[in-house]
Amino acid sequence: MGIFKHLIFAITLFMLSDLAESRPVSWAGGSTIMYRTNSMMSSYLFHYSPTYKYSIGAEYVNDKYFNNHFINLRSTYLLDRHNTKISQRNIYLTGGISTKTNQDFSYGIHGDWETRRIFSSFSVINKHTKEKNYTENEFQLGLAPYLGEYNDIHTWVMLKAKKNTINNDWEIYPFIKLFQGDYLIEVGSKNSHWDVHFIIRY
Amino acid sequence: MYKILVMFMVFTVSSVSAMEKSGGHGSHNHESHNHESHNHSASESANGSDIAFPEKMFSEFISDLANVQIVIVDVNGMVCDFCARGIEKVLYTDDAVKKVRVSLELGKVLIAYVSSKKVDFEEIKNIFLSNGQNATGYIIKKI
Repeated sequence: MGIFKHLIFAITLFMLSDLAESRPVSWAGGSTIMYRTNSMMSSYLFHYSPTYKYSIGAEYVNDKYFNNHFINLRSTYLLDRHNTKISQRNIYLTGGISTKTNQDFSYGIHGDWETRRIFSSFSVINKHTKEKNYTENEFQLGLAPYLGEYNDIHTWVMLKAKKNTINNDWEIYPFIKLFQGDYLIEVGSKNSHWDVHFIIRY
Repeated sequence: MYKILVMFMVFTVSSVSAMEKSGGHGSHNHESHNHESHNHSASESANGSDIAFPEKMFSEFISDLANVQIVIVDVNGMVCDFCARGIEKVLYTDDAVKKVRVSLELGKVLIAYVSSKKVDFEEIKNIFLSNGQNATGYIIKKI
């Protein structure tokens, strides 16, 4: 693919968005179901990856802050990946658009770098709604207390820092990420609000 | 707070640079070049593989197999169980594949193919690439 077509494709996907999540693109032919809930919203997402470079999907969103319900069409594009024997680094562009109104859309960038022991990620997502435009920033840092082998239960102790330009306050809180086989769950809590993320891959 | 996040990002980026400079080649286990004998192999061929698979693990893997050839593949980017999952799924769609074992610790995958299978490393590389990882070398052992 020529660089121009590559760029057009990336920009198109970039214009479609929502939240950054763990492993937003699967293997070629892989499908993913996700549930997420936090103080701002809860959502159910299905996405499919035709290749390991991008995923397309639909998400039902209950926006608690603006008391709104809608379906988002979403896509994520793996802009760059660098593999070494001990690490993987990814940069993704992500985008989504509401089926309810074309005034609700979002786009952003998400990156991560991990080894078997350390995980780090960031995301910057711009959200445009009828009511307000705002940006969500998020950073995560994680440590695996032990190194599990394939098929073991894997545990990560994580720290998340996030801020949106509505509240303009950083929230920092710990959470736990557990996964085994095709299942992953993240659970955290901040000021009595649960932040839960559940993923199944197949 | 902003300063802390900037420091965190600088730390992360510098860690990435340092580890990626050494990681691709720095994790070589020097048992790699001793071509550990497996006693099972009627023949063995290698291409770019840097580490022999530990004898015990290999013996366990082949304990219920016969008339197969084992391909031991070196993989870059196989750093978590969740991201390695697709490799196994894709490999098992090939009827010639009898058994697969992933080792996150060694960054290797063992694939038991029927002995009649003509092993093509380009095909193997494409399978790993479709899962987002890179196969960098392999050893074939016939048992």
